[in-house]
Amino acid sequence: MEKQEIEARVKKIISKILGVDEGKITSESRFVEDLGTESVQSLELVAAFEEEFGIEMEEDAALEVKTVDKAIEFIKKHLENK
Amino acid sequence: MKVLIFEDSNWINLTPLSYIKPVFELRCGFSTLFDKIRCKVEKMEIGLWVREYLINLIKAKYNYPVNDESFFMDDLLLINSRWLVTSKDKIEIIDEGIYQSEGDFVYAVLKQGTVKKIWDGDIDRFISEIKNHVKKEEKNVRIIKYPWHFIHFNSEILQDDFEFIGKSGIKGKFHSNAIIYGDEKRVYTEKDSEVHPFVVLDTHAGPIYIDKKAKIFPNARIEGPCYIGEDTQIMPGANIREGNSFGPVCRIGGEVEESIFHSYSNKYHDGFIGHSYIGEFVNLGALTTNSDLKNDYSSVVVYVNGKPVDTGELKVGSFIGDHTKTSIGVFFNTGSSVGMMCNVTSGGILPKFFPSFIWYINGRYMKGLGIEMMLKTAKIAMERRGRTLSLEEEEVIRKVYEITEEQRKEYISKSRKIT
Repeated sequence: MEKQEIEARVKKIISKILGVDEGKITSESRFVEDLGTESVQSLELVAAFEEEFGIEMEEDAALEVKTVDKAIEFIKKHLENK
Repeated sequence: MKVLIFEDSNWINLTPLSYIKPVFELRCGFSTLFDKIRCKVEKMEIGLWVREYLINLIKAKYNYPVNDESFFMDDLLLINSRWLVTSKDKIEIIDEGIYQSEGDFVYAVLKQGTVKKIWDGDIDRFISEIKNHVKKEEKNVRIIKYPWHFIHFNSEILQDDFEFIGKSGIKGKFHSNAIIYGDEKRVYTEKDSEVHPFVVLDTHAGPIYIDKKAKIFPNARIEGPCYIGEDTQIMPGANIREGNSFGPVCRIGGEVEESIFHSYSNKYHDGFIGHSYIGEFVNLGALTTNSDLKNDYSSVVVYVNGKPVDTGELKVGSFIGDHTKTSIGVFFNTGSSVGMMCNVTSGGILPKFFPSFIWYINGRYMKGLGIEMMLKTAKIAMERRGRTLSLEEEEVIRKVYEITEEQRKEYISKSRKIT
């Protein structure tokens, strides 16, 4: 899957779960500081990414991801190793 | 003769309560199963036998030999740690024999020769083999098979423990505007305990024992039988109905009926908990409530290790594992089993079974924050009450995380929108 497609789908999920306008989500956006993600929402994001891309993310590693760009990279890597 | 207090493979039927502690550490009445057994055999040489992953932890906690095979080289009194011993129960050490209660092993008196002949290193095989070598006798005693049995017997055991200890009277601070409603001889307050103004201790249905440093704040009403453990606090206005045991360092508010709080757990706020066993370091958010009676008055089914079991009882609440936390406004269904280190948030009708370490958010089972983050939270919670998570305890929690992983994944997977 191309990075652009992953990015579009990731932003859509973030927008839906966090209630943030998609246009305001950039690659550099930080989940906590810029998007206001609470710990409960971070778990919802992990679950939604897993469902969307059919992957399994290890909890500790997934929660180390701090920005949207890193999340895209993280998912891309998982898809490549699938 | 040596005494070996053992747990058999039935510990799994007492989960989630027994995941990180041996069965004999579970509580009924004033004390644990171990304390009650020890009273009967304290002059003898005692040893303990636990499941393998608990060995290091129990060795660190007790000054008794643990899983020491040399016990099987001697005359042996073998006691099932699921035996809920009362003051009236007697251990007869006269003839070689096995004592059972409705087919369940209670204790056995064995000669060295018999022990050596049967022992092959496996406790469960040893137990089932004994009956082929010695005479059997039926005993009318209480054996704990499932978590709800602790609740079933608690009121009776509270009464029995009070009589056995035989203390009565006020040794702590008792404000002149607090009252004992009923027989005053059925109250004992330990030194350094405090009973504040406008507290009502109602002893019509049973005795009330308030242990050292416990505090009962104004306007609380406590109905006997009840045990309030060391350094436990009953919050202002609490409605403590009959049949409750609160272990040490708990904070209890709202309405509680026929329940056991193991120790170090908090239910500060309003909300009802009934016919429930709450583990250690559990935190129940404000208004957390459990149902303990079905609207059609049918018998309650509880999931034991993920499988439904009909309790045959009309009133059964929740069984909540150690270190679990609930958010504000969680409503548990009748007969819920909530694993250890779970995080349950409110929303709709909740399921009746929560695998350990799971997070339940917006009506779905989810992975938690990972074991490292959960251990970090546990350490903070324990430090707040002056306790430290030992290396052995941490090792046991990690092991339980591992052995419950498959079940957790199964439930998360079922909960997915797309699989």
